[in-house]
Amino acid sequence: MNLKGNFLNPSDAVYEDIARQTVENHKGDFLNLLKQANYPLKMELSSETAQPNADIEIAHSTTVVAVLYRDGVMVAGDRRATAGTSVIYDRAEKVLQIDRHSLLAISGSPAIAYEIARVLEHSFQYFRRSQLQELSLEGKLRMLSRLIRDNLSMALQGIGGVIPIFSLYDLNANEDDNGGKIFFYDALGAHFENVDFATTGSGSVWIRGVLRYLSRFGDTPLPEMDQQQAAITILRLLDIASEYDAATSGYNAKVNIFPNVKVVTRTGVDTISDDDLATWYAQAQPEQA
Amino acid sequence: MRDEPYRWIEAIQDRRDYIEDQLRPGSPVVGITYNEGMLLLTIGKGQRKIFEVHDRIALSAIGHPADIERLRMLVTDTASVQGFQNATEDVNLHRLTNYVLAHTFKQAFESIVGEAYIIKMLLAELGTTPEKNLFTGINFDGIVRTDTNFAVIGGTEAIETGMQNYLTTAQTDADRDLTEALRLSLETWAVGKELSTREPEETELEETQMDTVQMYEVVNVAREDGEIEAGILETTQHGASKFRILTSQEVEAALNL
Repeated sequence: MNLKGNFLNPSDAVYEDIARQTVENHKGDFLNLLKQANYPLKMELSSETAQPNADIEIAHSTTVVAVLYRDGVMVAGDRRATAGTSVIYDRAEKVLQIDRHSLLAISGSPAIAYEIARVLEHSFQYFRRSQLQELSLEGKLRMLSRLIRDNLSMALQGIGGVIPIFSLYDLNANEDDNGGKIFFYDALGAHFENVDFATTGSGSVWIRGVLRYLSRFGDTPLPEMDQQQAAITILRLLDIASEYDAATSGYNAKVNIFPNVKVVTRTGVDTISDDDLATWYAQAQPEQA
Repeated sequence: MRDEPYRWIEAIQDRRDYIEDQLRPGSPVVGITYNEGMLLLTIGKGQRKIFEVHDRIALSAIGHPADIERLRMLVTDTASVQGFQNATEDVNLHRLTNYVLAHTFKQAFESIVGEAYIIKMLLAELGTTPEKNLFTGINFDGIVRTDTNFAVIGGTEAIETGMQNYLTTAQTDADRDLTEALRLSLETWAVGKELSTREPEETELEETQMDTVQMYEVVNVAREDGEIEAGILETTQHGASKFRILTSQEVEAALNL
């Protein structure tokens, strides 16, 4: 059914149409609901702007990293946003809370990434509110796959690609087990579970090897680190990435801007405060102390 | 039938009587504020009756389960779309009740050839400050009533008046904690339940003269084949979504049941 209504105008008959449809076909699908309300989910570009033969290079100037640690997953992102060689913003948030037990770290086109995060957040909430149960872990992963796949045409045109890392805490895991899970996505929406860590963005190439080294030969394996150890490790990694990658910022001492560091554990999502980061950053740079 | 005003009014009155008869035995719902949020409480038999609508809005209802479900989805869908298209802060109870629910209720009630909704709804909205906490009740005919401190829905007006009287006289400190709010709302529920079992003529008295022992007898009888259901909108909850259903352990521990 195609509705010709405008949600912003409450006198419209659109509400009753929604009521009728909810009864006919209700599966807790938020994307379907937005479609009924004529919300333009996809950006449609005309064929002239399409560049079918252009080299496909997804711009993802950033560094985000997720590591499994003792209590769950720690996710961090630098704060720099760039356009070409210019730094246009130094307080970008690239680690976004989606619900009480999941975090999305984004690299790629910010406009699309933020929209994907918003749709995801609202979809999970809508499922819980309408179906009276949480969407399953697998359901959440598929929803993100679907959004990334739907965005394929933008990605192929080289302007709207998004490569996220999705970190969740599985509440169905045994009390004694670590329920932290890290998933990496490709541009087509396939998801792969990363066991110990995942990193994406232009700076990630400089630290992926370090992460592999730490997880295999480090004194304390990543999953056994406590919050402080994990945070120090992650701050050091972002520092290394910022040394080699112009699109990644580390800790900006001039204006005191720290990377975003968040954790997802059994008790939910928590943001590491700047005070803790300052203390730990000092410990992460022993020669400056 | 609309050509004959008298028959139309008569038909509406019949419809009102019919719906009220259907609603009378329904398990009442009590809404009450406490120092860290708002509570909705009832005793149900299997079917959920207290729901999350949006970040700061909760819903409960008495009536036919199919009607409750349909209208719950209407308000949830509308709030979800509005919250996404604009911002979640732009979703508010006043707009939902006055522009979406009330006229839907009224239209169904007065179109006498169609089906009427057998429902009474009570919604709660957690304000940004305690003074802005809001309860809104909607009757099956679309009449909206708002309250700030507490609100009730029961099968008939007489039952509701009886419950309100109890709440007003038993009125404790407005700064009551959740335990106190649970106790007070459960007692009020018992008053409403007792009134709903009486013959219509008796309820007109709107008085129960029940003591606490009798109230808990009513509660215990109801708990034999039902369960206390309590949902809260709590200011202390992390994140934007403030709603949570209390577990039966939490309720039982608070009430020493």
